[in-house]
Amino acid sequence: MDNSVGTVRANGKHSKTDGRMVYLSTKSPSVPNLNEAYHGRFGRRISPERPQSQLSPLSIAEDPTNASLIDLYGDDDDDDDENENENESQSAEVVQNSHKSPEIESTPAFSRSVSTGIQGSSEYLSRDHATKDLSQYDRYGFKKQNAHITQEQYHEWWEEYSRYCIRRKRKWQDLLAKSGLAISNNDVPDRFPPRSEKLKRYVRKGIPAEWRGQAWWQFARGQEKLNKNKGVYDKLLAGINARSDKVSGRDLEVIERDLHRTFPENIHFQKQPNNNEEPLMIQSLRRVLLAFSDYNPKIGYCQSMNFLAGLLLLFLDEERTFWMLVIITSRYLPGVHNINLEGVNIDQGVLMLCVKEYLPDFWQRIVTKDQSRNNEFLYRLPPVTLCTAGWFMSCFVGVVPIETTLRIWDCLFYEESHVLFKTSLFILKICDQEVTAARRMARNKNLSKDDSDIEMFQAIQTVPKKLVDPQIIFERVIFKRRNSLNDLSQDEIDRCRRYVSAQRLKFKNYADIMGDRSTANENTKRDISMGSDFVENALSSEVYGFRRSLTAAHWNNSIKERVRQIRRK
Amino acid sequence: MGNSISKVMVKMFGYREMKILMLGLDNAGKTTILYKLKLNKIKTSAPTVGFNVETVSFRNVKFNMWDVGGQDRLRPLWRHYFPATTALIFVLDSQDTARLNEAKEELYSIISDKEMEDVVLLVLANKQDLKGAMGPQQISDYLELNDHLDNQLWCVIGSNALTGQGLVEGLSWITNNTKAKDKK
Repeated sequence: MDNSVGTVRANGKHSKTDGRMVYLSTKSPSVPNLNEAYHGRFGRRISPERPQSQLSPLSIAEDPTNASLIDLYGDDDDDDDENENENESQSAEVVQNSHKSPEIESTPAFSRSVSTGIQGSSEYLSRDHATKDLSQYDRYGFKKQNAHITQEQYHEWWEEYSRYCIRRKRKWQDLLAKSGLAISNNDVPDRFPPRSEKLKRYVRKGIPAEWRGQAWWQFARGQEKLNKNKGVYDKLLAGINARSDKVSGRDLEVIERDLHRTFPENIHFQKQPNNNEEPLMIQSLRRVLLAFSDYNPKIGYCQSMNFLAGLLLLFLDEERTFWMLVIITSRYLPGVHNINLEGVNIDQGVLMLCVKEYLPDFWQRIVTKDQSRNNEFLYRLPPVTLCTAGWFMSCFVGVVPIETTLRIWDCLFYEESHVLFKTSLFILKICDQEVTAARRMARNKNLSKDDSDIEMFQAIQTVPKKLVDPQIIFERVIFKRRNSLNDLSQDEIDRCRRYVSAQRLKFKNYADIMGDRSTANENTKRDISMGSDFVENALSSEVYGFRRSLTAAHWNNSIKERVRQIRRK
Repeated sequence: MGNSISKVMVKMFGYREMKILMLGLDNAGKTTILYKLKLNKIKTSAPTVGFNVETVSFRNVKFNMWDVGGQDRLRPLWRHYFPATTALIFVLDSQDTARLNEAKEELYSIISDKEMEDVVLLVLANKQDLKGAMGPQQISDYLELNDHLDNQLWCVIGSNALTGQGLVEGLSWITNNTKAKDKK
């Protein structure tokens, strides 16, 4: 039965209709012992004595210090031999361990899979992916080379960075030892020290890849959430199973279409060459997304959540992935994935306020003077937000190279969402620099508005994809002392969010009263909004003032604007 | 005035530019088409959250192509951002007959927009290589463009983004039919 699903799906991305039909039939009562198989697996997996270590991913394949596996991934770095040897005995043990993990054959459609990504798939790597050229893939299973990064660039970076990872891991081990925390036999600590300035610095310098799942889980207080909701995930899955083909159609279809388009270049999301079964990762991803769309109908399924869940699955088991998704969409990015998209619009408004404040040159590039005059840009967001909205929705997955994404996520879970704003501002800043440099090169070319737009959008699209080295962001933004962006704290962002939310509401009410301006043409729109000083004053009576630590004063933006004008004169 | 300058530019540099918007339901193949045209390569593409923009040169025309992400609930994000579009390429999955009606509704809701009044419309009936795909004629009949579009130039072409079939045809159709417009 399960095999037939695999084969039909194997027909390719396009055969969605067929795939869906057969997929539904797998949940029909004719499938033998769905629930039994499911509970059986569940029981085997979480033994009451050691739920933690059973749940936590082994992640051996990612360990940069692990010689045998690093060879498997083609990341052999001769210079680091002495480091790797230390770990060899340990790694041998871990490999053995992973082979002991139960063989997973046919997992019923809606039971959780036994293994988490890296753990389960490391076994595959040795067995099923033998025919693939593994040297092409990085330690997370992503292709090293892509349209924006050549193999050489990757290796040049990795040679340096892998050493950095090893150094950092030693530091982490010392820190844990000093805090009296043991590292369990899987080489993954059960617990990390309590929050401190030192730990924050360590997180900013990168959590060891094989500890990420566990660390994210702790920093995001996932266990707290899970303890309050014990059994909820299983109930959701059971619910989906029981409903059979009566599942709320829309989300199911959209999810199904996106499953095979999530990380198609990652080895864990690909079919094995000699096996037509659907990859376990994709099965897990389906369950997490379907369970989520049931759990939170206000969000349901929104494109980009496939990337969030997909990346989480590489580091955490299914149930934890589910709760992390809940935490991301509620705590870090409130409302961003909601059907009404208000959250994403608010965050883009906040980002635009920050751009105006921190990147005044870039700001002039993306808005006209008129737009900048009052706060209407918070309501009618500048086109650049079309790009940046995606950055927030997917938390930079697919926007920057994978290692950079993961380093951002390290900070996100420890320091919350202001990290996303800081990073966005930095990326926009280097895009701006790139565009400015390009302009200088082609000095006499008088660019039309369209051309300059295209130029800017292309920069925003490609520049971040080339940031293969996370240190570029981290050394130049997060760690740089006297960086003006350092003033941008979580408090500030939260305050900004409240302000933008209120402002947008005001504009919305105004638009509602004045009639739906979206149907009016561009000229009349402007007439209504700019025509009367009274309206303008009323709408932008409260100007947002950023807190800047330099003066510890609450700057009034209008005063600042006046200062700027005087300076210009 | 602006027009005469651009004519001089065309004479001097030998090309003209146009803005093309590529829309369609999710998973229709928009991004694949874009990168087939741009790089002549098949990029395994993931769902587009936001959009991709690339310039594609073809004969003496520089196309600025905007490929906008598909899922319907994300469409309000970009709805009003694309004024001054020369041509609209509406991509649909010819095999996904279940969603053909949804695609049709989407198409009509886009072209009824005031901003879209003057665009030329190219419908790419994509994924022609797949079994059970509807042909361009069938799709054209289904969309009933003949009955509903009086002022707009339109054309339905069968395409296969993987081989590139139909894509160049489509672009040259756009080129030929916008030239005529310029002369007016």
